[in-house]
Parts: sequence; C-alpha cells; structure tokens
Amino acid sequence: MSAPRRRCLWLLYVLPVALFLVALLVGRYGGGVGDAFRALFSADPNDVLRSLILRVRLPRALAALLVGANLAAAGAVLQGLFRNPLVDARILGVSSGAAFGASLAILLSGSALAVQTGAFVFALLAVAVVLAVGWRLGATPLVLLLVGIAVSALFDALLGLVKYVADPLSKLPAITYWLLGGLGGASWSNLVPLALLSAVGLGFLFLVRWRLNVLTLSDDEAASLGVRVRPLRAAMVVAASILVAASVSQAGMIGWIGLVVPHVARAWVGSDHARLLPASAALGAAILLALDTVARTALPSEIPLGILTGLLGVPAFLLLLVGYLRARGATQ
Amino acid sequence: MKNRHVLRLAVALIMGLAATACASDVVAVVDSTGRAVSVPQPVERIASAYGIGTYYVYALGAGNRLVAAWYVGVKTLGQAPDSLRAMEPRLDELFSVGDPNIEELAARRADLVLADAAKHEAFAAQMQGIGVPTLLLAPETTQGVVDTTLALGAALGEAAADRAARLVSDFWRVFAASEAATRDVPSGERPRVLFVGSSALQVASGAMYQTQLIEAAGGVSASADLVGGWNTVNLEQVLVWNPDVVIIPPYGNVTVDDLLTSADWQSVRAVQMGRVARMPRIFAPMDTPLPESLLGVMWLSSVLYPEWATFDVRAEAVAFYKAYYGHTLSQVEADAFLVP
Repeated sequence: MSAPRRRCLWLLYVLPVALFLVALLVGRYGGGVGDAFRALFSADPNDVLRSLILRVRLPRALAALLVGANLAAAGAVLQGLFRNPLVDARILGVSSGAAFGASLAILLSGSALAVQTGAFVFALLAVAVVLAVGWRLGATPLVLLLVGIAVSALFDALLGLVKYVADPLSKLPAITYWLLGGLGGASWSNLVPLALLSAVGLGFLFLVRWRLNVLTLSDDEAASLGVRVRPLRAAMVVAASILVAASVSQAGMIGWIGLVVPHVARAWVGSDHARLLPASAALGAAILLALDTVARTALPSEIPLGILTGLLGVPAFLLLLVGYLRARGATQ
Repeated sequence: MKNRHVLRLAVALIMGLAATACASDVVAVVDSTGRAVSVPQPVERIASAYGIGTYYVYALGAGNRLVAAWYVGVKTLGQAPDSLRAMEPRLDELFSVGDPNIEELAARRADLVLADAAKHEAFAAQMQGIGVPTLLLAPETTQGVVDTTLALGAALGEAAADRAARLVSDFWRVFAASEAATRDVPSGERPRVLFVGSSALQVASGAMYQTQLIEAAGGVSASADLVGGWNTVNLEQVLVWNPDVVIIPPYGNVTVDDLLTSADWQSVRAVQMGRVARMPRIFAPMDTPLPESLLGVMWLSSVLYPEWATFDVRAEAVAFYKAYYGHTLSQVEADAFLVP
C-alpha cells in the first residue's frame, strides 16, 4: 500500500469519531454548538439541553454509527460471498421480511418493542427460508440469489396485504413512515439489543474476514485450499443477516448504504477483505451518522433517512459506475 | 365577521329552499370538485364509498337509505365503536372496506353514490357512465364541511335540506360564539397547541383540518408552519415549539398518561402544566371534517379556555347526538365531553 493511502486510512477511522462529536453538539434545540458544549458539562440535572444530549442525541448517534457499520459491513461480505457487485441485504429477503414483520406488528399492536421484534424475527425468518431452500438446491451463489428474489417477492406481497387492510387514519401512515426509514425512535433501551447483535455479527465477520478472500474464488478452488465452502458461506450469510436484521428492526428500510459504501471503501483500501471489511464498517458508520444528523436538524419535521441515503447513494453509485467503465476503457 | 356569518346563513337557507323547490324532479348538485351532478329525486338507495361522507348521511337523517357504507377509521367490523353499532343496527350488512366495486354497488341498486374526491375520480366517471349519479366529496376545511352539508342536503330531499340548514347554522353559531369569546385575546397570548397524531411525535401540519379546529377554538397551532399531512418530528423540535397544550386524537396509541409520565416530555410546558387532553369519540374521530367536528371545536374551546366555559360541552353533545343522529348518549359517553 502506498504512503498517501495509509494516511487516508487513518482518516477513515477518525471520521466517525469526529462526526459523533459534531452530532452531539448540533440539533433543533438550543443556541448552537457553544451552548451545547456548555450544557454537556453543566452540573445542573434540570438543564433541558443537557438532558436532550444525553437522552436523545447520544443514543441516536450511537444507533446511527452501528446501523451504518452493520449495513456496510454486511454489504461488503455479501458482495464478496456472491461474487456480485450488485448484491446487498435486500437480495436475501432480509429487508422484505423485516418490512412485513414490522408492518404486521404495527397493524396488530403498534408498540415500539413489538415493531422492533417483529422486524427482526421476520427478517431472520426470510433468510432462514432462503438458506433452507437454497441448501437443498446446492447453496451456490446463483441458487441463493434466485431463491432470495422469490422469498423477497413473497414477503412484498404479504406487505401489500397488510397495507391494504391497515387503518388509513392511524396504522397506514405509521407503516409508510417506518418503511421510509429513520432513527427517530432510538433510545437507550432499544440500543441494547442492537449493540449486542452488532457485536456478535461484526465480531464474527471480523475474525473470519481473511477466509472471505478464499470464498470469492470458485467453490472448487476454495475447496482445494481446504475450506469447507458451504458451512462457511452459510455462517457468513447468517452473520451478515443478523447485522442487517438488527439494523432494519431499529431504523426501518435504509437502502444504498449496503450497496454503495463497500464500493467506495474498495476504491479506497483495495479488495482484500481483511482491510475492506473494517473500512466499509467505518465509512458506513460515518456516512449514516452524517445523514442522520441532517435528517434531524435540517427541517422542523424529520426527513426520512431512507430518502437521504437514496438521494446520496444513487449519484454516488453512478459516479462509481462511470469510474469503473472509464477504467475499463468502455466509454470510448 | 358577524355579517359574513349572517350572509352564509342566508345562502344556506336559499340553497335549502332551492332544493325544496326541485324536490319532485331532478336537482343539480355541485360537488367538491365543482362538477354539477344531476340527482333524480327522490334518492332512496345511497352507497357512500367515502368514509367521511357516510357520517353526513346519518346527520341529515338519511341513514336508513344507505345500502352500502364505508366508515372512516373503521377498517374491520371489530374496530367499530359500540356507539356506532348502537346507532346503526344494520352495520354488519352495510359495512364495506377497500376500493369500491362498481358491480357490487350496481347490484345493490344504489341511486346515489358518494365518493372520495382525492382518489375516486375514475370510479365516479364509471358510476356516472352506468347512470348512477356520483358526488365527489372533499370537505377538508370548515367551509368545506358547510358546503358538503348543504350539497348533500340538497341532494337528499326536503327533510335533509332542513337538517342541513340547521346543522350549518349550528356551525356558524359555534364559530361566532368562540370568536366573540376570544376576540380580545392577542395572538401572542393565545394558547399554543400541538396536535399530535397516532404517535406522540407525529404532528398536524398547517394545511390539516386539525389546525382549523384549533384556530376556530381560539388557539394557535404550534406546528402550523409544517406542510403536507402528518409530519414526523423529533423531541428537540417539540421543545423548540414548547406548546402550552397538547391534544391527542381519539385514535392511535398515545394516551394522556403516556405523555404526562414520559421522562422525555417532562421539559415540555404542556406536560409540566398537565395540559394534555385526548379528544372523546362517539362515532367518527372529531378531528376529521365531518359534522361531529362541531363538537370538536366546542371541546377544544373548553380545553383551551377552561375558565371561560364558552360552551356547556356535555349538554351540547347530548343535544347534538339526539338532534342529528337520534342517538341518546349514555352517561359514560356524555361524561367523556367533560374536560378534566
């Protein structure tokens, strides 16, 4: 690796920390960064701004970091596993399962805990179906992709049914808003499951990230290097799915982070998964935190996070595509 | 302002008389989209595919002529309030949900269809195409409620037109009384009201009917600058507004206790002062543009200015449901209008 790249790498990990501090100091309430800084060190327990920072901004910023890291890391792993640059968590049915589970929970109960649990359970259920069916058919990347598309379509249809029967005054707007994604519901209590699941998923992937390079070879080549391809692939899919399920159950549908961030990270640190995985996680965390800070401060009403990730993700994706085509000389 | 009310009352009476004059033949009714629809008289079989419109039909005394009905806020029969069931014994037979089916309504031999101007334009054209007069309705404002009441009164015959005129004059009476009571309160001193939705951080925009009700009751909507429909905000923004009063609609999951006991909301002035109230509900939610919103204005007035008691809301509610729905409020239903 060249010297300038090494310096940039250092920046990559400082960025989320710096943005985290900024996120704590800005918001709709209060006189600005100076006031927030003073409030943070205020000894007065009744200081409204201080309690806002500790009770609202802090858990929300942590949730944004975790969700961003999870989605980007899962995207990097899945793109490697499926040897396909267009893959993200949607392909395994995780998002569709979560969307259906959350909507069903909103329809039947509406409590935040039920929604989070419903999204998580159905996200994993969708992946379980994909893996169970895919395993029987050989568990090759192509089979898993095709089964994933089928299972996604099934849950999309069920989501349509839930929306159709939802009460248009109260339930339907809640479902629609949830589907647009956002971290407005983040609190210390629901941060705990997210943090635990993220630690398990990210920890596992971090430990096996060296082997991911082997899985990007063909199955035969990987097997000849002594890797048990199918169990390892399944374990990695499960870990990535846990990360995505934990994230969408907290933040709703947030697209593009899992697809685009790994590509940006790859352009930055190369395609060795030993470096790519942590770089994707750090970059995903930084980008999502920056966008969430905009989402909660720019306007009086919250801007759905999924809209912002889309607005940023699509041009970024097209830029990457142009760069890729130029590099291959295909634009001539 | 008063002159304007008198003028509107006069217009209402003239429209009522016009409907009377034409009762034996065909009346031309102008709906919310400005279409003039010819409605042959008498109308005997009404299908209301507009969940808000259904409650106008009942208020005008034509509920017994319904052959199919959608009910706002009721997606399954299980969600129907007991009071609605008590008022409409045929609920199981009439209750419909989802997109209206043109053949089903034709099979029920509807001779007037009420539809939603926001989404039923094509459906209305089809119904008209098979010869069934169809009114596209979109009240959305207090003036819209008055216009819709009069238009339906004209379409539904003499007795309904009389009731429509009475209902409209009731609206002007309430608006005038509320305005007279709060006329001398400078806008800076009016209670700032946050109208939340089905969750505590969903708030009504300036364009919504809820904002009009707040203003009619002499308050100021804290979130009036927002556009569109329900907006999702965060706690910081609520603290920036720091409303004097928080109103919870009669649907959704939010309760008064939720907000009063929430640690997050303790810095909000309305919570500190205990001024959080949930709208009562008898048939439809009173924050929707339909006849019951008249009680919504009176109830809001008593929440915003409890010391003035501009209206005896409990007595008004008992009289309103008796006069327009033939429904006698139970003790519990009537007491729901008392502001704690």
